[in-house]
Amino acid sequence: MVLLNSPYCKIILNEPLRLANWWANIPSISFSIVALYITALNLLSDISSTSIAPILSAHELRCVRGERCLFDGVGFSLSAGQCLHLLGSNGSGKTSLLRIIAGINRPQSGDVQWRASSIFDDPANRLKYFSAVAYLGHKDGLKDELTATENLSFYRRLENASNQTLIDQDLARMGILEHAEISANKLSFGQRRRLAFARLLHADFRLWILDEPFTGVDIQGRTLIEQICNQHLASGGIIILTNHQSLATSLFAQHIKQLRL
Amino acid sequence: MNNTFILFCQREWQLLFRNTSNLVQPLCFFVIIALLFPFSLPLENELLQRIGGGIIWVSAVLAILMSLESMFRADFNDGALEQWLIHPRSLPLAMLAKVFAHWCATGLILALFSPILCLAFRIPAEQIWVLFLGLIIGTPSLSLIGAIGAALTVTLHRGGVLLAIIILPLYIPILIFGAGMITQSYSGAAIYSQLYALLAILALAITLAPFAIAGALRTTIE
Amino acid sequence: MNILSSIWKAVSRGFHRLGSPREFYTISNYLTPVFGALFLVLSLIGSYYALFVAPADYQQGDSYRILFVHVPSAWLSLFIYVVMASAAAIGLVWRMKMAFVVAICSAPIGAAFTSLALATGSLWGAPIWGTWWEWDARLTSELILLFLYFGVMALYYAFEERRTAERAMAVLAVVGVVIVPIIHFSVEWWSSLHQGATVFREGGPAMPPSMLTPLIYMALGFTFFYGYILFLRARNMVLSNERKSKWVRALLQPQTLQPQGLPSKILQAESGKEGTQ
Repeated sequence: MVLLNSPYCKIILNEPLRLANWWANIPSISFSIVALYITALNLLSDISSTSIAPILSAHELRCVRGERCLFDGVGFSLSAGQCLHLLGSNGSGKTSLLRIIAGINRPQSGDVQWRASSIFDDPANRLKYFSAVAYLGHKDGLKDELTATENLSFYRRLENASNQTLIDQDLARMGILEHAEISANKLSFGQRRRLAFARLLHADFRLWILDEPFTGVDIQGRTLIEQICNQHLASGGIIILTNHQSLATSLFAQHIKQLRL
Repeated sequence: MNNTFILFCQREWQLLFRNTSNLVQPLCFFVIIALLFPFSLPLENELLQRIGGGIIWVSAVLAILMSLESMFRADFNDGALEQWLIHPRSLPLAMLAKVFAHWCATGLILALFSPILCLAFRIPAEQIWVLFLGLIIGTPSLSLIGAIGAALTVTLHRGGVLLAIIILPLYIPILIFGAGMITQSYSGAAIYSQLYALLAILALAITLAPFAIAGALRTTIE
Repeated sequence: MNILSSIWKAVSRGFHRLGSPREFYTISNYLTPVFGALFLVLSLIGSYYALFVAPADYQQGDSYRILFVHVPSAWLSLFIYVVMASAAAIGLVWRMKMAFVVAICSAPIGAAFTSLALATGSLWGAPIWGTWWEWDARLTSELILLFLYFGVMALYYAFEERRTAERAMAVLAVVGVVIVPIIHFSVEWWSSLHQGATVFREGGPAMPPSMLTPLIYMALGFTFFYGYILFLRARNMVLSNERKSKWVRALLQPQTLQPQGLPSKILQAESGKEGTQ
């Protein structure tokens, strides 16, 4: 009744506005104003959460290996669609930083936050974070004795997303479909990297942590990986990667932020 | 099926049974160690019967110890272990599945083969059944407790001897009760107290060891 | 309630203060000589009572007096294992560096007391049993405990990275302490199968007070000895672990002065450089 009496409805229904008891319209007017305000806020916060507010942030990270302090005071923040390129000489701690962000190692001090909540101190957030992050390190996580299809299907089933046609599709996209039934120890290094990368396709990981993804991959493979990364960034994902060469010529160069260790 | 336990079990079985030497090696080791004793000890038939049970138990313990070293090493070397650490699925449950699958390939096969080995020691039929029962119940606890040690030493290069030093004192109760069962039944007494003790240790191991294994893995992979 | 809560607050504050290596070092400056003095006094009194005042046993004569070293070391070996496991658990749960230091420093002391218990047990057994070793329940439990200590120490020193070593050792200590009662129970049951003719009475609460008093004195003295040695080792380990921190450098710097003393400006410049690094 309040809505029907509101001036907006009357304007829409082309009824004359009756101002005899004009103060009777106040509740409906205020209600509509409040409703519009809340809708506007929601719209604005949706926009901000997807493009402005940082999703992943790190504060004052300090890493100690043995007796050496690898890095201290490292921090960054990333929002959707951004890519962080870690630079540094050999041994400067890039892999250690990636492992800390992935949650495998703990920093000596400092914090990593996913959606404004710590991934180390908050167990509930930690679980949510682990569902959203995919880590491809130096070691590819593939079992030698299993075939490419079996390896990929294990990881798909771990993520509750097992679908044989999709697996074949992804293997084809990565260019290794003809080697699908060969055990992984007979694949070349580059083919193994492509197979490891196939995990990321058709999976809803928000954050990709890639440790030297282009190492050992040929030029077509590099272009393919760049395309896939570009797609991921365009759909609102986040990528953190290390690479020795500059990425200025890559497809997603405009989304890259650099961090030098 | 996407249940964590079944998923990891199936994967471990796939890995273990793809290469049949994984199944045969612990068995061969078990048999060879057990058969070394008659060579080294001056045994008459009577004595062989009485100590045969203990010898078979010691051989089973050593064979399981040998197979523990490789339990986590392959996964650590190719990076699969790290992936499990940062997965939302329950790590203790996954580790329970892994140890169960590993036990199926080592302890279960040893226990199933032990009656044949008993023939070599001329152990009477009554004790063969007791030995089999003891091994079936005791070897899962051995695998579970040993997996804790394997998880602690997985990142070390020469973890084998250290693993033995850490784990063997923890095996002594199982050994005492298991071998004691046979001695007891040889002298005609009932074996229920040792049986219940072994079952109690198994219950404790199944409930607590997976968490210890997960904790040890998170500690050492760091 | 207010008194209780204020006591609890003071205790937990003290607990957290001890958890900081620097605070521990300062507190142990005072505590270590106190523990050492207590150890000396109590052990001397206990030894006097044990050797001269306590009556000779009617069965074993004077050779039973080694009990006054054997029993306290056995008690202490178990006590130290529990302390080590508790410190390990505290370190794992609260991530306290000092707890790990206490755990790893206690391990060799515990192993030493266990070996002492085994050695004195053998020495005691030689005239009584006629052999140097007897598969007695308690002696066998002590032997297994010795291997548990060795396992903990071996695991700690096997890792290169100190943080990983501490936490792996802590996990093993906690797992061990869960299994120690099972080991003890199983060994007792096992040795009851081997009922030899040599079941000797080690004495328990049925001991006459003339024997109990020196036992308590020796036990307390040994405990303070453990505390004294633990603090010495822990202080060394704290200095070694924290050697890059400012307070350790400030502590060690006076020893690097030349006897004539360098000009104060150079000293200030050096300490300024180190402070900002």
